[in-house]
Amino acid sequence: MSKIVAMAAKDIWILFRDKLGFFFTVFFPLMMAIFFGAMFANLSRGPANIPVALVDEDRTAGSERFVTRLEAAGGLELEQLPREQALEQVRRGQTAVMVTLSPGFGAAMDNPFQTTPRVELAVDPTQFAAAGMTRGILLETAGAELQALMADSARIQATNDRNRRLIEQFTPPSAARDDFLTFIELSSRVSTLVEQLGLDGNATNAVTGGFGPPLEIGQTEVQAERRGPTNSYASSFPQAMLWVLIGGSVSFSMSIAIERSRGTLMRLLVSPITTRHLLAAKGLACLTTTLVTSTALITLGITVFRVKPTSYPLLALALLCASICFCGIMMALSVIGKTEQAAAGVGWGLALPFSMLGGGMVPLFLMPEWMQRLGNISPMKWTLMAYEGAIWRGFTLTEMLLPCAVLLTIGVVAFAIGARNLRWHTG
Amino acid sequence: MLLFDHVSKSFGDLRAVDDLSFELEAGEVFGLLGPNGAGKTTAINMAVGLLEPDEGVVRFAGETFDRDPREAENRQALGLAPQSIALYEEMSSADNLRFFGRLHGLKGPDLEERVAACLDFADLTDVRKKSVSKYSGGMKRRLNLAVAIIHDPDLVLLDEPTVGVDPQSRNAIFDRVEQLRDDGKQIVYTTHYMEEAQRLCDRVAIMDRGRLMALDTVRALIEAYGGPGKLAVRTGDKESIHDTTDPLGTLAQLQERETVEHFQYRPPDLETVFLNLTGRALRD
Repeated sequence: MSKIVAMAAKDIWILFRDKLGFFFTVFFPLMMAIFFGAMFANLSRGPANIPVALVDEDRTAGSERFVTRLEAAGGLELEQLPREQALEQVRRGQTAVMVTLSPGFGAAMDNPFQTTPRVELAVDPTQFAAAGMTRGILLETAGAELQALMADSARIQATNDRNRRLIEQFTPPSAARDDFLTFIELSSRVSTLVEQLGLDGNATNAVTGGFGPPLEIGQTEVQAERRGPTNSYASSFPQAMLWVLIGGSVSFSMSIAIERSRGTLMRLLVSPITTRHLLAAKGLACLTTTLVTSTALITLGITVFRVKPTSYPLLALALLCASICFCGIMMALSVIGKTEQAAAGVGWGLALPFSMLGGGMVPLFLMPEWMQRLGNISPMKWTLMAYEGAIWRGFTLTEMLLPCAVLLTIGVVAFAIGARNLRWHTG
Repeated sequence: MLLFDHVSKSFGDLRAVDDLSFELEAGEVFGLLGPNGAGKTTAINMAVGLLEPDEGVVRFAGETFDRDPREAENRQALGLAPQSIALYEEMSSADNLRFFGRLHGLKGPDLEERVAACLDFADLTDVRKKSVSKYSGGMKRRLNLAVAIIHDPDLVLLDEPTVGVDPQSRNAIFDRVEQLRDDGKQIVYTTHYMEEAQRLCDRVAIMDRGRLMALDTVRALIEAYGGPGKLAVRTGDKESIHDTTDPLGTLAQLQERETVEHFQYRPPDLETVFLNLTGRALRD
């Protein structure tokens, strides 16, 4: 038994002597616990506000009252925009959902007996979860508005008066018309009684129930009006191409550690080549591999899965910029870990949280706002934006410049850090 | 061909090489002999430009020693067989040689000719297409040496080339080092085995704790620092050891007094030179 204890103690001692091993054994799980803890703490309070572009084409007191109530309901981060601008935001991925209150919405809200009010949603196809939550909040708000209407005798009286005038104007006197007018009169009394009795929302629902859903919601994907993913593969292939880059850069980041451990790095450095040559060769190998693999993948997507990029030149630009970015990251990672295991640990240890932050695993809207802002430091976020921009978001060259510039900057800075450290490591 | 002029190198508080000076002579096998930690590999790494001296200069080539090994293009004239086997094990021996040949600017028929010559040198022609991972330790050692000479350098540095090999493979490596010497290469050979230095080296620099303790031919070193040999004698049930520089004379004197049943003479060697210079055995 003492031999076993001695061997176990030796292994633990070695683990704690290995700073990287210690980091991944102790601090990395702690980091993950904090990450998910922060995310689920947020979920337990309900998700972060979903960015919604609101287009109020009705511009009546009824629609404005609904918007005010919607803002007060929470859960949505409303921005009122003109229709074209709102659509553009959804297309660019800056907003998950566009909600349109068409002309007549306010009147319908004021007179739900005549017409069920209707809103139209235009949804980013990758954000169906956000769309579902938006629908829920819209229905809840419309229900609350209906309750308020039923509990407001003055408003219901005004609505009933208007309806009575319309019936009297357009229908000849008859027993049926008299019965209907009596029904309208009784509904006015219901609201008065609700008001007098001071019934709460649930009781009002019970009294006024049977009117059906308080709101009709139509939903279209953005591509119904603008360019968008031709199918679900157009959304999944950018993700897959992102993982090609991650896998490629992590694999290549191990290559210098492998060269070091097998001694061939020394042999290369003794050859009549400079460190610059070595770096260029590693970068070229990584760039070629990631470019070829990504191109093969999207070619498969185009030919087999009917993915139709909106712009091939921009797709090529996005592929190039993203590959350069991840080759730079590879270089920075490669000099951190001195052994193959450490290099792989560092690579995957950074790739996973950055993927989470960049929306590669968890939709960004589920994260707290500070975490979403933090996602801007993740190259994965900008890679996805560039790929989606070229594949289905229909980015223009100008729109593509931002993600490409960010990717190139990250790539160049990371490559410079890696190159500097490699020179330092190799004397 | 290679000059170390008052070269020192430290790693933190450790002075790995301390004021090392020597100069290679034409066509010689130059030995760096010392125990582990003596500073041999650090000296080799400075000789090939992997490390920069803190003090002093390392230069090579020509009578004026005007080339700095830290300049990439100058390293064309150098070949290094590192202490640990440094090969791409997934590749065949021919492909390893081709790859490193290309790094040294070889191509086309010249490259193929050198690859064939190096495979022959390492006696690996028959298995040239097999992946190196399937080679024995001795075969890998020979290939490790062959890769160092793929570009036909004038100066070959062999850093402990026999570490971890069996006696048969060790002899094969000795043969190849002698072949290189016969081909006119200058060779720097580091080892902590005094037998190897004694067999292969024209001159030997004895190093300990980064310092050069002595430098000369093996014979001169032994004469200067070896001291007397050891004559072990058994007479009846008595055994005795005598320090002597004239074993036959000593033996004759002993024979006059008593009957010598058995004797054994151990002349001074580099081991005793090292012991006398440092007070420690070479393998301590």
